[in-house]
Amino acid sequence: MPKATTGDATATFFEKLAKAGHEPILARTSGTLRVELKNGRRTEYWFVTVDKGDVAVSHANDEADAVVRTDKALFDGMATGRVNATTAILRGVLDAEGDLGLVMSFQRLFPAPPKSVYARKIR
Amino acid sequence: MSGELVQILEGNTFVVSDRNGDIDASPVDATGLFSFDTRFLSKWVLTIDGQRLNALSTDDLQYFETRFFLVPGMGTVYIDAKLSVIRQRIVADGFHEDLTILNHDEKPVSLEIRLEAASDFADLFEVKDALQKKGQYHHRIDRGTLVLGYTRESFARETLVSSSEPAKVDAAGLTFKVKVPAHGQWKTALDVKATYAAWGRGPMAAASSARPDMARGLDKWIQRAPHIECDSDSLRHTYHRSLVDLAALRFSTRTMPGRSLPAAGLPWFMTMFGRDSIFTSLQALPFTPELAQTTLLALGERQGSRVDDFRDEDPGRILHEMRYGEMTAFEERPHSPYYGCVDATPLYVVLLDEYERWTGDTKLVRDLEYEARAALNWIDQYADLQGNGYISYRRRNEKTGLENQCWKDSWDSISYRDGTLPGFPRATCELQGYAYDAKTRGARLARLVWKDPAFADRLEQEAADLKRRFNRDFWVEDEGYFAIALDVDGRQVDALASNNGHLLWSGIVDKSKAKSVAGHLLGKRLFSGWGVRTMAEGEGRYNPIGYHVGTVWPYDNSFIAWGLRRYGFKEEAARIAAGILDAAEFFDGRLPEAFGGYPREMTKYPVQYPTACSPQAWSTGAPLLLLRTMLGLEPQGEHLIVDPALARGIGHLELLDIPGRWGRIDAFGRGRIEIPK
Repeated sequence: MPKATTGDATATFFEKLAKAGHEPILARTSGTLRVELKNGRRTEYWFVTVDKGDVAVSHANDEADAVVRTDKALFDGMATGRVNATTAILRGVLDAEGDLGLVMSFQRLFPAPPKSVYARKIR
Repeated sequence: MSGELVQILEGNTFVVSDRNGDIDASPVDATGLFSFDTRFLSKWVLTIDGQRLNALSTDDLQYFETRFFLVPGMGTVYIDAKLSVIRQRIVADGFHEDLTILNHDEKPVSLEIRLEAASDFADLFEVKDALQKKGQYHHRIDRGTLVLGYTRESFARETLVSSSEPAKVDAAGLTFKVKVPAHGQWKTALDVKATYAAWGRGPMAAASSARPDMARGLDKWIQRAPHIECDSDSLRHTYHRSLVDLAALRFSTRTMPGRSLPAAGLPWFMTMFGRDSIFTSLQALPFTPELAQTTLLALGERQGSRVDDFRDEDPGRILHEMRYGEMTAFEERPHSPYYGCVDATPLYVVLLDEYERWTGDTKLVRDLEYEARAALNWIDQYADLQGNGYISYRRRNEKTGLENQCWKDSWDSISYRDGTLPGFPRATCELQGYAYDAKTRGARLARLVWKDPAFADRLEQEAADLKRRFNRDFWVEDEGYFAIALDVDGRQVDALASNNGHLLWSGIVDKSKAKSVAGHLLGKRLFSGWGVRTMAEGEGRYNPIGYHVGTVWPYDNSFIAWGLRRYGFKEEAARIAAGILDAAEFFDGRLPEAFGGYPREMTKYPVQYPTACSPQAWSTGAPLLLLRTMLGLEPQGEHLIVDPALARGIGHLELLDIPGRWGRIDAFGRGRIEIPK
């Protein structure tokens, strides 16, 4: 796992993912996902390999089963639960191509919106 | 809206027009070309020399194809036209229309043919609620193609209208100046494509692309399903109609192209609904098990993974409804997806187990182990809102979320005998039954497939404990049935309702109480002669045409019949099956969502309850499940048990080539049960 250049939300999200090494939500998922993030004039690449839930992360710009493209700022929002990936696609601020099942499973790894509080005991 | 509408669809793309094939929608009118919950065309009007046309006939060739046979003029007395016009329309990638003008005269004729086109790009929710648009409209003409567009920030949708013959294109439509020879014809093809703009890419087709094999696909679908032989023409017709309607209700998601699951209803509910897709898949299991497989995969893929109050999402929760329109995109509605439904999650485990019992597909059970465990975990960790060991519901999205998250989701469906309504949270009884069934079936899967006997033991203990408490807390002692719910104080919400039948189906009912429950279901207060009413006559809120407080729901009855069979009440199940199938005959084989709860002897025919959607998936599935209950089909190990019990009036019944882990098997039955008049 390459070190991220800055301590930003996106990098933190991927670092956490790489460190965990396994995501049960992806247990029946295998494939590769390339995330292309536009950050001003440069493009940042994240390459995620999933093998039945085992996850590896790199910065490779390689062929992948699925590609997600968006702005870095928007991805930071998803990585912190402030932006929902599904509505971002519908609004046309995020593009997903290829194996959309993989993208669908992957977006479930994003955290909960910061304001949602679950009151387990209502009374 | 005019009285007679024609609708054709493919997936979630559909066209609703008048009998002439024209679309002339007002903002709240529900005609148009719709795709992914957006109206892409709100005007599509054909004129010849400025005149509208008059329909001689309209043929629904297939659920995705219609032919309109028209003549010029709107004359009412008789028509002496020298021209006739054929519009043949097929839904695919928007829609494709072949327009043919026939000249019956001995002389050539010069005509100006005009197609007016416009789009308001309304979200389905806006059509329902008459809301104002927040974005901007645009149009352009691009090499003979009329492009109608709408944008709001980066949200962009466009409709592309083009023709095979050259046309003069302006902002409001296409004009053809043509000369049709004597006894000759003129033809053009018209294409209307729905597109959306993806980030960093150009316009993409919104609808799935054309499927030239749709007709063949339908034939194959029918051939693959079991074949019916029976004395009753009506039953044969109902069965065939159910299969065709089920084919029309198939819906594919972008994440699983080439596979389909049942959507909830045509056309407004052509989307994934957790509850409806699961119930319909259960009904159709003995006939088309692949629907269950796709439902389990598609819902699993979107299972809740975080706590999100806006979407009423929790980890492990199965979604309620998915939508793709503008209001969902801008989070003015929570359907991306929305999770406010409490029964779909336990029912997910029920479907997975039932699917395995029929198909022997342990691979899917292994693949979905995480999802099934998460669903089972949700029951205790997230759905027990009051910490009393019962599932209850109360929405967290108080602005746009659903108040009632059980299948009887209208405001007044859950009440005490005197008609007063309980507060929230509400613990309705059938939810506890589903939870019991999910735990029991989950235990079987844990032992058989996941090889986790400790988890299985735990689930079985929890199920047994739930059953014991439930039979104590929900049982209305003086009447001998189960209360419809417990209120926030743990008090019984004591109206008598059809939910008791679902309890039999779930297996949560103590054997000693089953006879009394069955007696109520077939008793005068609940049973109308056609079927079991949603709420019993005599309750404070009973109304024979009240949505969930007195009407008869065919879907509800099919599960009640299954429940009765589960407890050995064969004759009672047969009576319900016979009543609902008799009703189907009055609806030409297509059962509505609900019909009036009037006593059968009073109206002689079932009084339809007005609903927007037809066919409705779980009504379409009802005759299928009733066939199963009448024949007493029950998988046991590698075998299929057949134990028929059907009404005498049905006569001889054969269901041939029932698919399952046994390969294909035939089942036979003969009507022997006398139905009391």
